[in-house]
This record gives sequence, structure tokens and C-alpha cells, in this order.
Amino acid sequence: MTPERFAYLADAYGADLQRWPVAERGAALGLLERGDVTSLQVLQQARQLDSLLDSYQLAPPDPALVRRIAASAVMTKPVSFWSRYADWLSSVGFVGVGLAGIATGILVVSLSLPLSTASEALPSVFDQGDADIVFTVNAEESEQ
Amino acid sequence: MKEIDPDVELLARIGNKEPAAVNEMVSRKLPRLLALASRILGDADEAKDVAQESFLRIWRQAANWRSGEARFDTWLHRVVLNLCHDRLRKRKERPLEDDEPGNELVDSAPRPDEELEATARSEQMAAALAALPDRQREAIVLQYYQELSNIEAAALMNISVDALESLLSRARRNLRSYLAETHGPDSLGRGRR
Repeated sequence: MTPERFAYLADAYGADLQRWPVAERGAALGLLERGDVTSLQVLQQARQLDSLLDSYQLAPPDPALVRRIAASAVMTKPVSFWSRYADWLSSVGFVGVGLAGIATGILVVSLSLPLSTASEALPSVFDQGDADIVFTVNAEESEQ
Repeated sequence: MKEIDPDVELLARIGNKEPAAVNEMVSRKLPRLLALASRILGDADEAKDVAQESFLRIWRQAANWRSGEARFDTWLHRVVLNLCHDRLRKRKERPLEDDEPGNELVDSAPRPDEELEATARSEQMAAALAALPDRQREAIVLQYYQELSNIEAAALMNISVDALESLLSRARRNLRSYLAETHGPDSLGRGRR
């Protein structure tokens, strides 16, 4: 590790190597053990700011707040399986209703149209009568 | 190998409605999440509200908590941060009047000299932290005070580790400048470990 890298990390994470990224700690310690003067100075400067950060102490939680929070556990209903997936289920429901509407529409339209015979709906491969007529007419025209 | 989440067993006991588990969760997590909210918001009353709201969410989720997704402590940090963000956003929409009293985090009852000095140092640091831009303050609170790893802190802030390091460096530089400007350059050497 270079002294510049050491200074960069001390500038971000402070003087306590335990707060540094795990992968960098060994190399940083090596630099300090070799007595690198710049790194030792950088660490001293970081330690001063750490001390000031540590001086910001907070009062322990108020016992009344602790009691209120513990009491709130009894009154709170846990999230049920269905409510947990309520959003997902409601969107699925919307899609389902939409699909049902489309299906109903298709059914209504198909019932209101006159029924056609099977031969009109699907031409048969054996039904070649029309084709013969067309070919015959074309042949007559070409002869003329 | 994946680390075992130390809170999962306790959550299961809360799901089974064990009163002792509820008390254990409060004593395990309240100081930690109250500290987080207090340092992010700089207001004791608002921090208490955030703590209460966060615990309501714990109680609702406990029975359904599934291990293997997020670590519980990380999820809890995210809940607290989101509640803090809402409050910070509302503050910006309705800025405090200059003469409106804030809710002090340190009580002002008479104390011996040593305690007074410690209180003064704590207040200096609280003011310096409050003066930081929100993202810088959040970075230093998560990494330094909450002792999260750089990866956890960066993930909570939805940024890369490089971006977190940049925020931390700027935060520490700004804290030094603030303290030197408001309390003189000697203030940086007076702290005690």
C-alpha cells in the first residue's frame, strides 16, 4: 500500500483500522509497522477527529419510551399472508376481470352472428367445382 | 458461506407472542435505532417518533420474517432511514423559523464541571454534524456511529463503495473546517479518546 492510498482511506474511515475495508487492513498495518512517517501523521490527524466524533454522546432511551414501545407490540396486528400479497392479488384480479370481459364479448358477438355452414367456413380440398369453372372460363377467353 | 442472521431466532419468538422476546428486542435495538434517528435528524422528539414507528413495523413483520433475504438489522436501518428522509423532506418544505426552539438532544440540568465540559463537546459535535449536507451526514452516521461495513452503508444509501468513500472524506473534511472555524483550530486537538 502506498502512503497516498493510506491517506485516502484514513480520510474516509478514520484512525481505527477495524473500520477499514477488510482487504486493506493487513497492508495498512504493514505500512505502520515499517514506521512510515507520513502515514503515522495522517493517522494522528484522523484520530483527533475520531475523538471529537466520539464526544457526541446521546442519552440512553427514556424508560417511558421503552415501556410505550414494548406495550405497542401487544396492540399491533401482524401482517397476514393475504394482506402481504394484497397488492399483487388485486392486480391479478384486475387482469382476470379484463380477460373475463374479453371472453364474454367474444361469446356475445359469436352468438349474435348468423350461423354459417361448415362448407362456407372452411373450404374443402375435395371441393374443386369452382376452380374447374374458373379454369374453363379462362380457357374459353384465351381461345377467343 | 452466508452469515447467520443473529436476530432471526428472536423474531420467531416475537411471532410466537413471547413477552420476554419483545422486551429483548426493545433493549437490543432501541438504543441503536434511536441513535441513528437522533444523529440523522438532530432532534430528540422526532427521533423518538421515528423509533416508535419503526418498532410498529417490527411487530407487524416479526411473524412473517423470512431469513435469507435481507439481514434484519439492515432492513431496520432502511426503515429508520426512510422515516428520517420523510421528515427531512417535510422540513425542507416547511423550514423552521430562526427563533423556533429546537428539541435539544442533551438535557440542560445543572452538572459538575467535567460533565459540563463533556456536554459542551457533545453539543459542538452535534452542531458540526447537523451542519453537514444530508448525504455526508448519513454516510458518517452509518459508517462511523452505527459501525456498518462500507458495503452495508453503501447499499443502504444506494451508492457504490467509491461514492461512499468520497462522501466520507468530504464529511470529515467539512467537520474539521466547521470545528476549526467555530471553535478555533485548537478544538481539533482537544478531543479525548
